[in-house]
Amino acid sequence: MGLLCSRNRHSNEADAKENAQAEEIERRIEQETRAEKHIQKLLLLGAGESGKSTIFKQIKLLFQTGFDEAELKSYISVIHANVYQTIKVLFDGLKEFSQNETDSSKYVLSGENKEIGEKLSEIGGKLEYPRLTKELAQEIETLWKDPAIQETYARGNELQVPDSAHYFMENLQRFSDANYIPTKDDVLFARVRTTGVVEIQFSPVGENKKSGEVYRLFDVGGQRNERRKWIHLFEGVTAVIFCAAISDYDQTLFEDEQKNRMMETKELFDWVLKQPCFEKTSFMLFLNKFDIFEKKVLKVPLNVCEWFKDYQPVSTGKQEVEHAYEFVKKKFEELYFESNTPDRGRIFKIYRTTALDQKLVKKTFKLVDETLRLRRRNQYEAGLL
Amino acid sequence: MLVDQPSTRRREADLKVDGQVLDVETAVKDGILGGVGGGFGGGFASEKLDLKQMIEELESVEVPTVFICPISLEPMQDPVTLSTGQTYERSNILKWFSLGHCTCPTTMQELWDDSVTPNKTLQQLIYSWFSQIYLASKKRSEDVQGRVKEILETLKKVKGQARIQALKELRQVVNAHSTAKKTVVNNGGIALISSLLGPFTTHAVGSEAIGILSNLDLDSSSKSHLMQPAKISLMVDMLNEGSIDTKINCSKLIEILVEGDDFSAEKVASLSLLVGLLRLVKDKRHLNGILAGLRLLKTVCSHESVRSSFVSVGGVPQLVVLLPSLNNECLELALYVLEAVSTAPEGKLALKDCPNTVPNVVKLLMKVSENCTQLALSILLAVFNLAPEECASLAMDAGLAAKLLLVIQSGCNLVLKQRSAELLKLCSLNYTATIFMSKCKLTRTIQ
Repeated sequence: MGLLCSRNRHSNEADAKENAQAEEIERRIEQETRAEKHIQKLLLLGAGESGKSTIFKQIKLLFQTGFDEAELKSYISVIHANVYQTIKVLFDGLKEFSQNETDSSKYVLSGENKEIGEKLSEIGGKLEYPRLTKELAQEIETLWKDPAIQETYARGNELQVPDSAHYFMENLQRFSDANYIPTKDDVLFARVRTTGVVEIQFSPVGENKKSGEVYRLFDVGGQRNERRKWIHLFEGVTAVIFCAAISDYDQTLFEDEQKNRMMETKELFDWVLKQPCFEKTSFMLFLNKFDIFEKKVLKVPLNVCEWFKDYQPVSTGKQEVEHAYEFVKKKFEELYFESNTPDRGRIFKIYRTTALDQKLVKKTFKLVDETLRLRRRNQYEAGLL
Repeated sequence: MLVDQPSTRRREADLKVDGQVLDVETAVKDGILGGVGGGFGGGFASEKLDLKQMIEELESVEVPTVFICPISLEPMQDPVTLSTGQTYERSNILKWFSLGHCTCPTTMQELWDDSVTPNKTLQQLIYSWFSQIYLASKKRSEDVQGRVKEILETLKKVKGQARIQALKELRQVVNAHSTAKKTVVNNGGIALISSLLGPFTTHAVGSEAIGILSNLDLDSSSKSHLMQPAKISLMVDMLNEGSIDTKINCSKLIEILVEGDDFSAEKVASLSLLVGLLRLVKDKRHLNGILAGLRLLKTVCSHESVRSSFVSVGGVPQLVVLLPSLNNECLELALYVLEAVSTAPEGKLALKDCPNTVPNVVKLLMKVSENCTQLALSILLAVFNLAPEECASLAMDAGLAAKLLLVIQSGCNLVLKQRSAELLKLCSLNYTATIFMSKCKLTRTIQ
């Protein structure tokens, strides 16, 4: 009897401890689930190089503590890599043009530049890049200024020349400084292919400081071979921020040089809209890279892209830019509403953005925040919350 | 003459007229000698206010009955009293006498004495009373004008929350006082408010601005200024996102902008606008929203290019399904839209494909107005011409034939009758006479 009793008591103590732990864990799970409910999830989607990661960086700069010195320094190797990659693409492109073009005299390098070019092309083809020294920077600058390279750059849309090529080439002196620390702008322009998923949690602090909205922003890889990683993220997002680089209409994909980038964006957007998990999700379409679009559209007609083949220019200058923009906007709108019958009642808004301009991104995000809050209020009023 | 000599005697007691307390002393002084505190327009200080003019301007004010002439029911300007003690407007009672009457109009007593005595006391009272009210309203209006100008100045300088507050206040003032509207217009208010609308305007600012603009009279240059794509996009977004009042205001404003200008309608009627309007029209909780939405839909659908957009966003079945629940005013608008859409090939197809078209439209024949019946007939004809057999059986089941016969026999205009006959013929094409008759479900008498 005594033994029995004492054994029970012993096991009771152990049980009690286990129960207490289990309860504690459950309580914490419940707390976190409740907290999670108030966090609005935003998903950045879009084709490769559409500006998603730049938006991501901007949000980090605007609403978090930005980049500290260590983080800034971590971008040095990325920026140097971008420099090498850029000049290599240009040089290789030049060689290609000089072989194929009838008027190949345009694509002949002067003097030693040919040797410099070969050397840089070899460096750029390696897996690891050397640090950018003053000498290398000088050589790159000389090559960049060569008229043949400039001719090649003018046809950059036929190659995979990154949009920030000009920025990199103009700042070579600064980049090659021994004590170089990248600036915020340098970081924004730096280009590294996102693999996997990155996320940040932030609260937009505005004049209305008690706004209390907490957002979690996810950035995913944009190229085709990364898309399967997105699937499991789709559940329960408040809004999708879809980035489309509208200046891409005359460029081809990095991963498939036969495919026009704008057509790829169009198909991706269509695919995303049709996903059943997005039935109730708000869609914010960022028509990005407006600054490049502004200049390009006056030189390269929109109808080089099949989707825009029925475009008719009406005037010149600023008016024409606006007209072209409205046309592109309308095309995206049509695409959206094609997949939206019957009307699912979700929010769809289009924003004109230039992801590199921090002020604009801040203003744009303020509007996105307002829209999402209005949506919650309308749902509440309609008795859905 | 009492009117010219201000009384110097102090009066302790206030006069009570019809429940309104008249401080005659002050009233007389204010009315004749000058402004209240000299604070406003020097013009009033020395001018004698014209009673006739004041009466005209204060038309809507409730005048005490003792001031009203029993003959004309208008305020008296030159009251005269008869020997019976009743007071009338001089011109009216003299006219009464000239028609041969020698009675007092109200008491019906025979008059042994047709002399009229001017009632100076009453005249002075009437004058003072009107002056007091007139001057007070002038002051209020000046205050309002001053306030409006102040707010407009503020708007030029502030941003953020302060801007929203200023706009809210301006909106309240404009809604409460009609003089405020003119002040806003005359002081460049429209251009100022329009300049606040752009691609980065927040909803808070935009909804207040639209709330003000939709109540003002806009001239054509203001309208074309507001027609910029970025501003229109903003209005369309607000129409989709805002409260019911914001939605209605946006709808109203867009309608004002598009009125009478063919090209504007095309520029404005984006797919987003059409979807937004359809959502507005489907919201059964807000009847004025439905009306505003339908009015704008009618305006934009009068243009061909808009019609195919309307069909592509699935507008036809959504509108058809709504028909039974609409009131008469809304019904006519909705039918107008559907009729316009039926002139386009994709519209006809959409109408035919929607199973509710025929039954819902047939029910409306001869039910609301001649106009509605005409529109309904056009719609039915368009659909029938596309697929006669299908529609015929549907229509017959819905009791179309009886209704058509009713139209033909009624006092409607000729066009309607012809249309009905045409439709009836289309219906009967597939049946023999007897089957047709039985399908008509007619009562004995009509048979």
